[in-house]
Amino acid sequence: MTRPKWLLLLLVPLLANALVFAATGMAVSSDASRTLASPESFAAITDPVQRSAAYFTELGKVLQNPRCLNCHPAGNRPSQGDTMRPHQPPVFRGPDGMGLASMRCNTCHQGANFDPGRIPGHPAWHLAPIEMGWQGRTLTEICQQIKDPARNGGRTPEDLIDHIGADTLVGWAWHPGVGRTPAPGTQKEAGALVAAWVKSGAACP
Amino acid sequence: MRPSRRDFVKLMMASGIAVAVTPMARADAPTFASRETLPGRGVARPRLGRVDGVAKVTGAKLYASDFRAADMPGWPSQTAHALFVRSPDASHVYEGIDLDRLSLIAKPTVVVTAEDVARIGARVPEFYAGDLFCPVGKTPFFLGQPLALLIFASFDDFDRVRVALRDGNYLKFGAETGPTEGPNYGAFRFTRVAGPTPDGPDLYSPIQEGWVSPGFFESSGRPIWKPLPVAKGGEYVKGATFGDAIRAELDAPDPSRLVITQDFETQSIDPVFLEPECGLAWYDPSKRNLELVLGVQSPFEAASAIAFLLGEADADHKPATINAQFAHVGGGFGGKDHTPFSLYIALAALFLPGRPVRLAHDRFQQFQGGVKRHAFKMHSRIGVDRKSGLITGFAADHVLDGGGMANYSASVAVVGATGALGIYSIPKVDVTTVALHSRGVTAGSMRGYGTLQTMTAIESLVDEVCAALPLDPIEFRRRNALATGGRTMTGNPYSVSVRTPEILAKLEAHPIWRDRAIEKAAARPGFLVGTGVAVCTKDYGTGADCSLGRVEIDAEGRVSVHGDAVEMGNGIGTAIANRVAAHLGVVADRVGVSEIDAFDALGLFTSGDAYSTTQAAQDEAAKNPRWVPAISSATSASIGAHVGTQAAAEAARVLFRFGLWPAALAIWGIPQNDPRAKQWDEAFWQDGMLLMSGLSPLSLKAIAAKAHAMNGITGTMAHAFSRWAWAQATFTVGGEDVTADIDALAIRRGDGDFEPIERSAVAFPPADYNRIGTAFTSLCGTLVRIEIERATGIVRIAKAYSVLECGEALVPEVVRGQAHGGFAMGVGYALLETLPPFEDGPGNGQWNLGQYRIARASDLPVNDLEVEILPPLSPKEPPKGMAEVVMIPVVPGLLNAIFDATGHRFAALPVTAAQIKGVLA
Amino acid sequence: MTTLSLSVNGRALGPFEVRDDLTMNDFLREELGMTGTKFGCGAAQCLSCAVIVDMPDGSSHTNPTCVVPAVNFDGKAIRTIEGHAKDGVLTALQTAFIEHFSFQCGYCTPGFLNESQVLLERLEKTPVPRATLETVIAEALDGHLCRCTGYVKYHEAVRAVILAGADRYLI
Repeated sequence: MTRPKWLLLLLVPLLANALVFAATGMAVSSDASRTLASPESFAAITDPVQRSAAYFTELGKVLQNPRCLNCHPAGNRPSQGDTMRPHQPPVFRGPDGMGLASMRCNTCHQGANFDPGRIPGHPAWHLAPIEMGWQGRTLTEICQQIKDPARNGGRTPEDLIDHIGADTLVGWAWHPGVGRTPAPGTQKEAGALVAAWVKSGAACP
Repeated sequence: MRPSRRDFVKLMMASGIAVAVTPMARADAPTFASRETLPGRGVARPRLGRVDGVAKVTGAKLYASDFRAADMPGWPSQTAHALFVRSPDASHVYEGIDLDRLSLIAKPTVVVTAEDVARIGARVPEFYAGDLFCPVGKTPFFLGQPLALLIFASFDDFDRVRVALRDGNYLKFGAETGPTEGPNYGAFRFTRVAGPTPDGPDLYSPIQEGWVSPGFFESSGRPIWKPLPVAKGGEYVKGATFGDAIRAELDAPDPSRLVITQDFETQSIDPVFLEPECGLAWYDPSKRNLELVLGVQSPFEAASAIAFLLGEADADHKPATINAQFAHVGGGFGGKDHTPFSLYIALAALFLPGRPVRLAHDRFQQFQGGVKRHAFKMHSRIGVDRKSGLITGFAADHVLDGGGMANYSASVAVVGATGALGIYSIPKVDVTTVALHSRGVTAGSMRGYGTLQTMTAIESLVDEVCAALPLDPIEFRRRNALATGGRTMTGNPYSVSVRTPEILAKLEAHPIWRDRAIEKAAARPGFLVGTGVAVCTKDYGTGADCSLGRVEIDAEGRVSVHGDAVEMGNGIGTAIANRVAAHLGVVADRVGVSEIDAFDALGLFTSGDAYSTTQAAQDEAAKNPRWVPAISSATSASIGAHVGTQAAAEAARVLFRFGLWPAALAIWGIPQNDPRAKQWDEAFWQDGMLLMSGLSPLSLKAIAAKAHAMNGITGTMAHAFSRWAWAQATFTVGGEDVTADIDALAIRRGDGDFEPIERSAVAFPPADYNRIGTAFTSLCGTLVRIEIERATGIVRIAKAYSVLECGEALVPEVVRGQAHGGFAMGVGYALLETLPPFEDGPGNGQWNLGQYRIARASDLPVNDLEVEILPPLSPKEPPKGMAEVVMIPVVPGLLNAIFDATGHRFAALPVTAAQIKGVLA
Repeated sequence: MTTLSLSVNGRALGPFEVRDDLTMNDFLREELGMTGTKFGCGAAQCLSCAVIVDMPDGSSHTNPTCVVPAVNFDGKAIRTIEGHAKDGVLTALQTAFIEHFSFQCGYCTPGFLNESQVLLERLEKTPVPRATLETVIAEALDGHLCRCTGYVKYHEAVRAVILAGADRYLI
């Protein structure tokens, strides 16, 4: 399988990316941010720990995408939109992550996206628990959080493959409805990256 | 001749269309008029409260957006739906709508484009000069310019296409041309140089010399620009010479004087009235009658504009009659005053004859097509004598972004400029202003009307001066405040009370001000506390304000009132009812507002332009007893109390004096030659009973019954006109002369028809009062204490106090509510609201609330916002308009508080948390 | 197209065949002609469009109608502003809103009345301490936008009704 040119950037530290892109003349925001690389494309990384971390870095394009971050806030209020502005109307986590009594999440966010109202929806719409808050955290910190059963809802690494690769609320991120840019790649591709990461020892970048 | 503030359009009766209302009632269905006339006879309601209270708390059909064809007796029952298609682009040639692809979703029944408008011979009223639709092959002139109307027989089709157009790509654009340039909407220079003594004449002032404008604007050729009262050439040079001297003086180094320069920028914002613009219309080709239901602040103008639009249309598109009915409005704030929306409703009906059509904005479309507040760039310089703390000179240059259409831009520029001195008396002033065209969405009238921008700038600049001198901010204001009788920028004094010293005293004594140092020092860890003060004065009145009013009492003593003022939340219906109640003893149970058709018995006609007429022309026209300088004007936030209630109040006074009083005398058995017969001014009402010393109280019911039985006067109708003073006229009623602040009168006896009484004498305000900037004003001062969280920059308003004066408050709780609402709108303007001007802005059709933040209760000190209304100076002080002034001081108050807390003075709005956080870092 | 049956202000209505992408707001206003429920933004920001939904478990909440398809209300029981007053007799809240001059243009008023009504019913089941009342009211009403009033008199009126019934609503 051919290795796309832009994968070169994964072999160098993040800071050098700009130079590489300048050299290749490619813009970061075009193809690279909308797709997910397959695990096979990292085969050139010989060091297994580095390769494992590289899977997670690629997965980071999903985890740190607004579609995910908006509902993984560090505090008690979600953000909204591609610009991740504070959610309007003001809504709060509440005791169960599903909002306060006067404004439950599923009052507006019903079972499915409703495009005429430009409002996203899913039967289980709610905030990730606060221990899974990712906004403002580095990818390294998120990686450690996601591996920690005390902070990831008691999940084993294998559970994570299913959660990210198949859970339908997570899956919403790739079909967010009109007015919201989907997460990069597909949920299946994301799941493949998680699987590869777990199988390779779940190293953190 | 300077551009008028409110009504640029002449009445187009000459177009040959009779503009009138003929209610079409079915016995079994409520008429539109009955739904809009409140509270309604026999409707149970609380003793306290607005006349429209019950209707509004029960969800009754009231707003234009509530009505469909099925609600209109006599109309066909199915409603078709029309959809605006607007351009998100103003830099490429428009090549049409991809109707083939759009029709896969639903095929419109009718498409109306520029070609169709031209084909039928529609004329664009002067105020809206420009293309009603951008023609194919032309670059749209501005973002949001209408491209077409699509009309659908079924709501489902309409709805599907609405969403598809919003979310998809169905508009075709070709070559990139860049934005199209357009001429400026107007430019002015206001210069005043006081004479050596305050009582002596000014050396130069606009009211003495006429208003001037730099020569370049005349080359614009825009038809709304009328010639000035005096020729421009030499007079401009004279004024400009004085103006340049003022600037040179400010530039000259002088250690005895502090000079501060300020560059201040404000942003474009949206009025966000909660009811988007909409209307309903039906053209019946068999009768050639056009029916309309509209919700606008300017009913007379809307009807006139539609009449003009169609006045020379072809036979199929020119109605013989236009029947326009006007609903209560779900918020206006200026944004429903003189907008082109009504023209499109009329067009929609004409292109789908026989079928009622609804045209309504959703909120995306309202952002895209509704008028906005002007963004201002202001460069100002102020000179202050260090020793005395007195302002010696002020110069400013204002540049407004008027967006795509002229609308009210020239007028906003004028009012903003002449309001730029705020509450201060400044002996040397020179202000230039120019309103530019841009490809942005159209800017028009919005609460504050230019003075929100310019007074925010000066109150912030004064705060900077006080810090630099240094001088206590209240004391500085005390020393520099314009006093009653002092001359404004245009050279005339206000003709109403100027109560700045009382306002300042209240602010100074208030705990928020007194405790500011203590509170600042006691800020919690991680927080900063600051206090800010500002005082503003806002004119009310436009220089050609009209009021129509009609008052009737039936044999049971029940009162109905009709007026042309529009109810948009301002409480005008209740204010009119209260003012009438002072004369008649009870609050009316039928109050009709927004009516332009209930006054035909006066037989009024008008000619000329009230804003630019000469004294000779006015005197000549006034010889005809039915002539008035203007018939009906728009309702703006500040003229309701003073203007909107005037005709009904005077009509009620005449009705009492000549209808109820004679009936009461008859019941009491007091003959005409008895001295008590002349003492109508001594009688007063209590709980519906007329009291007069020494006589037994009479119920209104008994008096009314007697008046009817005597075939006495039981109804009166009046028109009033103000050009900074009410026109006055004398009428002979019941054999006696009465002079009132009205210029037309009609009376009704018993259950008969209204008959006009020709005035025997009239005194209209002089034509040269048109040189006055404003003569009426009211004041408001605001204190705010804020707390800023360092880590986030978020401002929390801990406490606030506003003190205002408005003469007689006709409905004090409405005044208080307006003060609360003005405060909230000011907070939004200062801290939350902003619209990018061009392609990223609302013209792209993608803006809604959420992205655009207006103040929520959580942004406001809802339980700690104190409003004090000063009692009138004298029982003779009439009501003053106040609904704009209560929005203004909170804005600079917040800026000054932010400076107090952070040491940083922001010079652009809004001031966001991110920006504050940035300067604290 | 989907079949929709529901109860509105105690009256069973339907079945209607409605388009799946028809909003509940348009169903109420265009199909049923019930325009007491308003349209302000279409983006769940202003809640002028909110109606009361009465759940089988006895709880009630307000729901925006502008971002929810009508078909999602199938089988539900809702109350709109038109159903508050009975035989012309206003509720305590409606009366308070008038007497306190709580609204001006009145366009947002139905939403505020629905929300306040739900609040009262919730407090009756679960009263709160007096000291928390202002916060409870603020939290309940903050989803509702008003452009005219600055909210002060709305909060004042709701507080007055609760204080007048302190034995029912407060601990």
